[in-house]
Amino acid sequence: MDAIRTEGLTKHYTKGFWRSRPYAALEDLTLHVGQGEVFGFLGPNGAGKTTTLKLLMQLIFPTSGRAEILGRPVGDVSVRRRIGYLPENPYFYDNLTAEELLIYFARVFGYSAQDGRARASRLLDEVGIGSERRFQLRKFSKGMIQRVGIAQALVNDPEVVFFDEPMSGLDPIGRREVRELILRLRDKGCAVFFSSHVLSDAEALCSRVAVVVKGRLTATGRLSDLLANRARAWELVVSSVSQPVIDRIAPRLTGVTVLGEGRFSLELPLTVAPEQLLAELVATGARLVSLNPVRETLEDFFVQQVRATDEAGIVRERTAS
Amino acid sequence: MTAVLAIARGVFKDSIRDRVPYNLVFFAVLLMAASFLLAQLTAGQDVKIIKDLGLAAASLMGVLIAVFFGIGLVAKEVERRSIYSLLSKPITRSQFIVGKYLGLVFTLIANLAVMALAYYGVLAYLDWQTPASIKAGWEAAALDPMLLKAFALIAVELMLVTALALFFSTFSSTFLSAALTIAMYVIGHFSDDLRTLESFGASPALAMIGRGLYYAFPNLSPLNVTAAVVHGQAVTAQHMLLASGSIGLYVAVLLVASTLIFERRDFK
Amino acid sequence: MAPPLRTRRTLHWIAFVVLLVAAIGTQTAINGAFERFTPTQEVQWVRSPGVMRRLVLGFNSVAADIYWIRAVQYYGSTKLSKAENKDYGFLFPLLDITTTLDPRFNIAYRFGAILLSEGYPNGPGRPEDAIALLEKGIRESPNKWEYYLDAGFVEYWWHDDPKAAADWFLRGSKLSTAPNWLQPLAASVLAEGGDQVAARVLWTQLAQTAEQEWMRRTARTRLQQLDAENVIGQLQPIVNSFYDRANRFPTGWDEMTRAGLVRGIPLDPTGVPYTLDPVSGAVDVAEESSLYPLRRGL
Repeated sequence: MDAIRTEGLTKHYTKGFWRSRPYAALEDLTLHVGQGEVFGFLGPNGAGKTTTLKLLMQLIFPTSGRAEILGRPVGDVSVRRRIGYLPENPYFYDNLTAEELLIYFARVFGYSAQDGRARASRLLDEVGIGSERRFQLRKFSKGMIQRVGIAQALVNDPEVVFFDEPMSGLDPIGRREVRELILRLRDKGCAVFFSSHVLSDAEALCSRVAVVVKGRLTATGRLSDLLANRARAWELVVSSVSQPVIDRIAPRLTGVTVLGEGRFSLELPLTVAPEQLLAELVATGARLVSLNPVRETLEDFFVQQVRATDEAGIVRERTAS
Repeated sequence: MTAVLAIARGVFKDSIRDRVPYNLVFFAVLLMAASFLLAQLTAGQDVKIIKDLGLAAASLMGVLIAVFFGIGLVAKEVERRSIYSLLSKPITRSQFIVGKYLGLVFTLIANLAVMALAYYGVLAYLDWQTPASIKAGWEAAALDPMLLKAFALIAVELMLVTALALFFSTFSSTFLSAALTIAMYVIGHFSDDLRTLESFGASPALAMIGRGLYYAFPNLSPLNVTAAVVHGQAVTAQHMLLASGSIGLYVAVLLVASTLIFERRDFK
Repeated sequence: MAPPLRTRRTLHWIAFVVLLVAAIGTQTAINGAFERFTPTQEVQWVRSPGVMRRLVLGFNSVAADIYWIRAVQYYGSTKLSKAENKDYGFLFPLLDITTTLDPRFNIAYRFGAILLSEGYPNGPGRPEDAIALLEKGIRESPNKWEYYLDAGFVEYWWHDDPKAAADWFLRGSKLSTAPNWLQPLAASVLAEGGDQVAARVLWTQLAQTAEQEWMRRTARTRLQQLDAENVIGQLQPIVNSFYDRANRFPTGWDEMTRAGLVRGIPLDPTGVPYTLDPVSGAVDVAEESSLYPLRRGL
């Protein structure tokens, strides 16, 4: 049984004053997320990521298509006992303290007051909120609210969590902490479905990703499969090289970056054997600093997906439905 | 059921600390104190004026608080997105509505209790200051416990206003909800006059509309027992029950209607 | 745990309809049961219109409107209340304040005068107050011929004083804005004395020309009252003839019918039977009739 499964999930809105122009927020999304998987849901702003999450939480209703969580249809209230959700730009109740908010949600789940207090305490520790937990939420900064948001998503020890832009508002330390938290969740067997447009996080955490652009799914699969796992070039960094030497070998290179003080970063196409070029350079007195294959990054892949969609001329607004 | 109560408790905790109602309650208390001064200007009518003004202040401020909270229940939550996290919990939308409503009613009663305390405080002061000879001429004692019946019916009225505000806020913005709720409140108080519109010179078509509105809308005038209570006339238990029961049914209608709208609503 | 959405929604719709019907039904059923706590116990906290005007801080028009609404509501609820001794005591002060706050409040003068002069128990029955109000209106707006007309009405109808009425009409007819029928009206009122013809002309005019529907309705009612007066004038001698024969007054219209003096129970122009007092033999319109009371002194 998959943790999450969607089939042809579609959401159309009608825009315009007389509601005459249909707008495809999400078109025919089909994907699945296995249990215990960390799944990155990527896309540029406005691609439909938040729409998808809201459809999964049944905050909005699909125009067509289905979605299931842990084998139950999304409308099933009971399955929400086993999931957690962090909305984008979360906002809670100004007058409650962080502690009170978590205890409140715990009691909504049906936990006792005592149990709720214990959970609240543990979760606030885990997300790094210390004595501020006694302050009212109105006094919290964006980053702290984000942490509280993550905590409230975990109140019920969920089996699947849905994070919408979990790193938003966090400083680098916070982001690292959240990354570690997500990995801990994975280790506990919890599936994590998170949407983001910060690709480095996805690269670090996800086993599988999906890319949506303009409401459509353009690619999905294991990261290692999606990114060409072959080097597309070599990067050779050498020192103690003189400019004339560089000029001489330049025609064989695809790029040269001057790092200063006799150091150069050379980009070699795959057709050039790096060992041989290195031997030539060493013969002139150069020294090796580093030699690395240049792999396609997720960012490259992402940009390429977006561009492909643009070129395909996909239009989200239709004149006729 | 536990979920509903948990939501109610959470709403109560959040609302009871809200600053706006404090200001309104404070204002009501101020009005009651001021009524004491005003009463000095109109010889002989002082206890009546204090009772009248005090109940009016409590009622009016209560309505404002109810409207403020009612729209905050849904419209404000939707606008600020705080509703997302709660709705993703294992609760139905109807549990959400009922829980929110209950929490709010408790908050209102708490606020009303504070105003009632201030009210009796002012009356106690008057009672203490007035010589017995004048007190003998009063129609009803200053600290008449019957006044509590008036407060009870004000509470019932507030429950309806809150339900109205909640209903409107399931589908409209905060501002529009407030405006519509206040409009319905005003209509509710002119309900008797709606029925007798033709005797006030309205055209037959208008009178028919008026009569239709009269039958369909909740009639709020029976909830206003100020005149009776201030003059020491009895308010029967039957009256209280009938009035509360009738309004209670309307509250139920509004809550179910709110649920119906809420259930199918997209939260963009 | 919770039933699926579709089932829940169906249940909710059913609950909605049932509760709505219950709510409206209950309210309709018990609305009559509520005792009306009459606002006849209104307290006037500020007695002086002058003080009131200063108090409202310039929001004179709005305050005047509010007082006007209050006056009309006060009149209406007092009239409709089931109290034993209805007290219209606050009507004049309310109208006084209204017209002080807005001295050009036309309808308050005209309508107010009608309400004030309306005979007890359907109104306070105080034509002198009505005339005082109209005089105030004339002071504020000297060119309003309608106020002279209204004052003349009151004198003619409620004080049964055709000379005073004609006097008002004449004064009104001297205004530049006055219609050309005021002067002949004054003349015919003087000439006819207590006759109905002039009265009919007055009311017919008003029924056709008054701006407010309520005033036109009042005029039509007055015409019906005149008809009723005529019928009573015909019935009374018949009743008296019964007395001549039987040495007592009839017990009711049935006896009169059996005696062959009338054909069935006579109804007034609104369809309500006339009353026949078995003790005094007086024929009158019934209290329940909207034509009650007919003007006094007839």
